[in-house]
Amino acid sequence: MSLESTRRRVPVNLGVVGTLFLLACFAVTMIALLVLRESSESDTDSGPSIVYGLTLNPSGFDPHIHNSNELGIPFYSVYDTLVYRHPQTAEFVPGLADRWEMSPDGLDWTFYLKQGVTFHDGTPFNANAVGANLDRVMNPDIASRKAKFLLGPYTGYTIVDAYTITLHLSEPYAPLLDGLSQVYLGIASPEALAEHTKNAYQWHQVGTGPYKLKEVVPGDRIILTRNQDYAWGPVFYAEVTDQTLDTIEFRFFVDAPTRSLALESGEVEVIGELLPTDAELLLGNTALRILRVPIAGMPQQFFFNTQRSPTDDPVVRQALIYGTNRTAIVDAVFQGQSPVAHGPLTSVTPFYDADVETLYPHDPDYARSLLQGIGYEDIDGDGMLERDGEPLALTMVFAPWNQMADVAQLIQSQWRDLGIDLELIQVPDFPTLRSYADEGTYDLISFYDFGVDASILNQYYTTGGANNWSGYSDPELDGWLAEATRQSSRETRAALYQSIQMRIMEQAVVLPVREYVNLNGTTAALDGVIFSAQGWWPLLRNFQLSP
Amino acid sequence: MMMRSRTRNYRLMVAAALLGVIVLLSALAPVLARHDPRAARPEDQLQAPSEHYLLGTDLLGRDIYSRVLYGGRRTLGVALLTVVVTLPGLVIGLVAGYGGRWLDLALMTLMDALLAFPSLLMALALIALFGNGMVQIALAVGAAGIPAFARVTRAAVIEARGMPFVEAARSVGARPEAILWRHILPVIAPPLLAFAGVTLSWAILNSAALMFLGYGGYISAPDWGVMLADGRAAFRVAPWVALAPGVALSLTVFAINLLASALNGQNGRG
Amino acid sequence: MIGFTFRRVGVALVVAWLAMTLAFVALRWVPGDAVDSTLTHAGVPADAIAARRAALGLNDPLWQQYVDYVAGLPRGDWGDSLISGQPVSELIWQNAGSTAALAAGALLVAVVLGVTLGILAGTVRWRIGRYAAEAAASLALSTPVYWTATLAIYVFTVTLDLLPGVGGSGVRHVILPACVLGFHTAGSIAQVTASSIREASVQDFVRTARAKGLSEFDILDHVLRVGLLPVIAVVALQLGFLLGGTVITETIFVRRGLGRVLLDAISSRDYPVIQGLVVLAAVVYSLINALADVVYGLVDPRVDMSS
Repeated sequence: MSLESTRRRVPVNLGVVGTLFLLACFAVTMIALLVLRESSESDTDSGPSIVYGLTLNPSGFDPHIHNSNELGIPFYSVYDTLVYRHPQTAEFVPGLADRWEMSPDGLDWTFYLKQGVTFHDGTPFNANAVGANLDRVMNPDIASRKAKFLLGPYTGYTIVDAYTITLHLSEPYAPLLDGLSQVYLGIASPEALAEHTKNAYQWHQVGTGPYKLKEVVPGDRIILTRNQDYAWGPVFYAEVTDQTLDTIEFRFFVDAPTRSLALESGEVEVIGELLPTDAELLLGNTALRILRVPIAGMPQQFFFNTQRSPTDDPVVRQALIYGTNRTAIVDAVFQGQSPVAHGPLTSVTPFYDADVETLYPHDPDYARSLLQGIGYEDIDGDGMLERDGEPLALTMVFAPWNQMADVAQLIQSQWRDLGIDLELIQVPDFPTLRSYADEGTYDLISFYDFGVDASILNQYYTTGGANNWSGYSDPELDGWLAEATRQSSRETRAALYQSIQMRIMEQAVVLPVREYVNLNGTTAALDGVIFSAQGWWPLLRNFQLSP
Repeated sequence: MMMRSRTRNYRLMVAAALLGVIVLLSALAPVLARHDPRAARPEDQLQAPSEHYLLGTDLLGRDIYSRVLYGGRRTLGVALLTVVVTLPGLVIGLVAGYGGRWLDLALMTLMDALLAFPSLLMALALIALFGNGMVQIALAVGAAGIPAFARVTRAAVIEARGMPFVEAARSVGARPEAILWRHILPVIAPPLLAFAGVTLSWAILNSAALMFLGYGGYISAPDWGVMLADGRAAFRVAPWVALAPGVALSLTVFAINLLASALNGQNGRG
Repeated sequence: MIGFTFRRVGVALVVAWLAMTLAFVALRWVPGDAVDSTLTHAGVPADAIAARRAALGLNDPLWQQYVDYVAGLPRGDWGDSLISGQPVSELIWQNAGSTAALAAGALLVAVVLGVTLGILAGTVRWRIGRYAAEAAASLALSTPVYWTATLAIYVFTVTLDLLPGVGGSGVRHVILPACVLGFHTAGSIAQVTASSIREASVQDFVRTARAKGLSEFDILDHVLRVGLLPVIAVVALQLGFLLGGTVITETIFVRRGLGRVLLDAISSRDYPVIQGLVVLAAVVYSLINALADVVYGLVDPRVDMSS
């Protein structure tokens, strides 16, 4: 091939190739987008609709199996529960059960169910349906991580008649109604449960609630549409108007700084867990509203490892709490938008004992004196405390959500002023956090959960409890916790939980930081935004979108 | 020869000067810093740059200027570690380029198989194996860079082998090791250094990406990538929090790339 | 020509197969996986976990699992997610479109921007112009993607209200993420383009052409044609960077896509999904590089096809 002819060949090919390539890119983009478009949005649906921003992508969405709070945000409205807590008073009101009775010995609970209720797939609701749900929750094959534990000492049920069912317990259990009021024990259609495998059901959930599950695209979106036949809601559900939402699309906004951007640009109408600095900024925006919802349960906190030196010494733990300026943390990291936490329960939780607030004022001098009293001194003048040549060095493990990284770094700085060397380990996800817990290679670890009934403390503070990551063991505390779970008298429970909270804090088992407040942002066009008594779950039925 | 020597020297000077300043500042951090980079004074949070806090303060009231100085050590240290981890690639490339045909084929097919994974994906998959932490990030990102280094080294060795003076040395009967040492290595050194430079900057950015995704592990010292990712949270109310580490990061990577391109130019290939 | 193409594609497939095998072995070696993490801590008894593992085939000898896996691939059976039970192939199919749109759009932006910047950097008379173009290319290479993404959303969506930002999946929603990702990918392309054009412009044929009296424009044309050849190779290489970049871009822009799927799979140790994505990436990357080699061979008269 001569040089001339090859040179002549090149121009044609390259130009053609280049243009073809660019066209190909463009074509791929367009085709891919068109394929996308037809598989999703059909917003020709009439009626008010919103996009709701979720913030965590849980590993599963089946309330019977999984334990994330996030999944309740959409699914609280897909299911009804036997009883509900009134969002304002937290009292139990009828749900799918019209009324209920507890036997005098506290071992049998009889529920008289509503009639005329149907599931979204047309199956009638009755006692058999409830039984089928209980069977599923207790079935070891599905490995329920929360629902099963909410039932406590449950042993079985008896179908009395078509609309009456009795639950049997092996011992009295005060939190039963509370458990039954949570989305994890929502009642699902037995037909749907039977039709799908355990893993597949979460994409095809069927309940009796005010909204039906229309579509789930894992990791991307969840779409609910209004249940037109819904006529059996609890007293606090509003009447349907032409502003009641017809469609709600849930999308995942895992990256915190972009949540406020999504809200401002109108990509979402509601989103939770805004960054405190963003929430402050948005207060001035008249097109938006900021709702602060306090959450009942445990505060954002760190468990001390009571099985490992030096945190096995209660004096060390107490000194550390005295030495932590929690007010400064709340002001700096959370912009003062949450209350400081003082005990194992938040102040909005029933049976919260305000006495814990007096226990640990911020007093770094006293902290130093406590440590000195057990032999920690700064001998070599490097600013760090030692005892017998060993520096006071601790390890703190935490997961990054809820701005724990900022909290941890602030604590690290505060403790350095005391002379303590704190090493921080950030893990990216729960399984890794769990593996640290299993190995016990930490002095402090972040872990907490939410719930209205104070019995959530059981798994965390009882000797050998499933979530007892502090390794704390106190037979007297165990007795109190068990008794408070059995007792139904409010006064008795209050007294017991008072002792429990004081004991936990006197023994400094946990370092409480702040009470969780969910910063929700909504468009000003949305009214009736109200959350359940548990705090996390919106009552979508009551939302009203002005045009 | 494609870059005029005046241009080449100019680039080299600018890059070296810039990098020199950055490395010097990082090394002198204990002297130059005004505050302890980890000392948090929350009452001073989110302050704009001032006389007291040269580059302002972040959410926890820490001095950004001091943190940027110290952060350089961390960032550069991790990046250097990453480049060290890629060195096996150099050895593989040398062996493949200089060894027999079958060895070359086997090694390069293996390297191609590894190159088939986009580097961030491979680093992520390796993180899933190693766990998380700065060292693990360096290992993962470094391991992901080995195949590329091998390929580049091999190409350079093969080209160098074909050069007239190497042929001459071989025809005279010089031993292979001597040829390697005295003739080939000096020739391939500049482009390899250039590639190491590119790897360095790529390592900085990939590590920053992994830390943004949450795989950082230990938080004991400031690091530009982490500062930048965290700075996004306060960006709307305090843009300087992210600006300072961002500029530092960009300048460093820019300087490294400039140096690499100058070295490439020196060799007459690019 | 045909023979060359077949050989090249064949090599690519072999390489992809090797990559898949490596990934398979590596992932099986790791202790603990999604089965452990989801079941062990739910209080499920040990024998139930063992039964589950047996049912999933995780107790079979390694070679058998491998054979089963490879046999399943062409059938479309890429395994099931350990977390959701959804078939991996279905998961990939649901998310591939969005990632493809983002990647193709970004590549478009990258090539246009990169080649333009590269040509400018390589040919413009004034030094300032050249340096400016080089600086732009360097900038593209020096900043982390997550940073420019946030900045872009803030400027274009919130402040200027020009383009939709976070979330959404329509045509307009892909513009900003594609531009951001494309901008970063353009850096390398620009640099290689610039240097190869510079190299081409000092070749002998340019001097010959000048001696023959061809106009500057014609000479420029020639230089471009030869100089743009290596760009093909680098564009194919940049695909890897692009695929990695989709992970971060999809996270920030809240787009559905394989990048987010990979992140979720890694954080929940969902090995079948990780495996499937790795295989997909390897195959796509190898094939595209093979294609680039073929095109390069077609276009560059200096390449000897019969080798």
